[in-house]
Amino acid sequence: MGVEKNVTLLHEWHVENGATMALFGGYDMPLWYPQGIKAEHLGVIQSAGLFDTSHMAVVTVAGDEALTLLQKCFSKDLKRCLGKKKGPLVRGRSVYGLFLTPDGHVLDDAIVSQAAERFYMVVVNAGMGGIVAQHLVKYSAGLDVEIDDLTDRVGKIDIQGKNSARIVASVLKDSDSVMSAFPYFSFKGWYDDSLDIAGELCLKDGTPIMLSRTGYTGEFGFELFVGPEKLLSVWTMLLEAGKSYSLQPCGLAARDSLRAGAVLPLSHQDIGDWPFVHTPWPFAIADRDPAGAFSKEFVGSEALATLHSHEYTLPFAGYDPRKIVVSDRAHVVDEAGTNIGRILTCATDMAIGRVGEEIVSIAGDDTPDDFIPRGLSCGFLRVDRRLEAGDLVFLTDGKRKIKVEIREDVRPDRTARRPMREML
Amino acid sequence: MKEINDLNLPEDIRYSDDHEWAKVSGDTVLIGISDYAQDQLGDIVFVELPEVGDCFEAGDEFGTLESVKAVSELYFPLGGEVVAVNEELGDAPELLNQDPYSGWIIEIKPNDSNELEKLLDRDAYLEILRGE
Repeated sequence: MGVEKNVTLLHEWHVENGATMALFGGYDMPLWYPQGIKAEHLGVIQSAGLFDTSHMAVVTVAGDEALTLLQKCFSKDLKRCLGKKKGPLVRGRSVYGLFLTPDGHVLDDAIVSQAAERFYMVVVNAGMGGIVAQHLVKYSAGLDVEIDDLTDRVGKIDIQGKNSARIVASVLKDSDSVMSAFPYFSFKGWYDDSLDIAGELCLKDGTPIMLSRTGYTGEFGFELFVGPEKLLSVWTMLLEAGKSYSLQPCGLAARDSLRAGAVLPLSHQDIGDWPFVHTPWPFAIADRDPAGAFSKEFVGSEALATLHSHEYTLPFAGYDPRKIVVSDRAHVVDEAGTNIGRILTCATDMAIGRVGEEIVSIAGDDTPDDFIPRGLSCGFLRVDRRLEAGDLVFLTDGKRKIKVEIREDVRPDRTARRPMREML
Repeated sequence: MKEINDLNLPEDIRYSDDHEWAKVSGDTVLIGISDYAQDQLGDIVFVELPEVGDCFEAGDEFGTLESVKAVSELYFPLGGEVVAVNEELGDAPELLNQDPYSGWIIEIKPNDSNELEKLLDRDAYLEILRGE
């Protein structure tokens, strides 16, 4: 990632609108806007928020043997990944997975979408377009495949929160038909005229977009891909359209606290250059049979099948908003005070609190009207032993010490998978 | 983030280079954090306070402020005994963001009120902020 400082095409807008900026993945990005992280986090839970995610990179894989290459390199089995029946990935659908090294370490996580016959879009993290493209090239010898790193050549905006579909529908041409059948992890349209699906989906002003029912907050919403020349106009158009829903721009800090509460990993922090074993995200790799064999072979699969690791990555939640900032001194101790591992992520989900022992979200149907979320720290630990949900450990930086509970899940009542018909 | 010229920095209080403020109130001194500090921290979600009766020297850590993104220590701008803590911050830590000067944190009885003179006035504090 280096020290280079890239910017997205919305950088000037962020600065002009008072964002507190910081370097992330090589890009100078908004951390929060003047309304603050708490308002942004709660805004997504209670209505909707808009995120500039153009720092993320797009790589395309095309050709007769594109599927062969992705089957070799991507952790999910693209022939057995859709729905309960485990159908193949088809045009218009997306799947989350990983690119691993031969020793089972995570190079990056990605969403792979099939945009056309023999044409796949791979969305990876900021600064990773070139690295993932090189990795694919390395394994493509002899294959009829073309790999393009489109870093900084595709604009990306996420709109997340329960009112997202209402806001997006108001700027879409033919919104009724577009929104009528739109399952989680599916997409429609394309952002330029390079594919025959271009023009399938346009905004009212004619801008072609790719609209994907995906995101990184655990909440209902979309990722919009647009041509870079249209990024600013689409951003301001959505903000204008979302005014009646109090749609606000949100920075990376709210994105981080939302995804932590949703138990989603941050690449290079919660998953990274260590073996992908004993994690809360087994769904990111191909299915295994009862004997432990994967449904396909892929780069890293042999290592994962044979590795014996005593390291466990586990989600946790605290009892109040207090955090331990991740640093060299920060570590996890058991009740006896023994150092048992390190903290990967520690954030505060401001939409939740505890009622007794139970975690309650401000968005819950049964949440009492007078519930005021105080916020709970949450995130991921990497410890040297198996722990069960409900076990208690302590996070410390050597000075402060906070009690946290190992969890299977953190923020309840998330909306990401709600059926579209409930959200219009 | 606020521009330095947009910061609210009252004339009638003293500042420390750790971004606390101190204001004389009769025999005691109220202590809080500056507008710059609250702006840098972002939304404050939790305040860890000392006990009434605790005694500290200037520069000692007396508590922590927790924002959504960071944890920040609080330091005594001058030595003394804690005679009151702002209990309101327990339920409403955001008061420190809303008005960091009415949102005091602790009240102390100073060991030596001359120490107050060693703290920065508004202009000297502004100089430090311009250097950061």
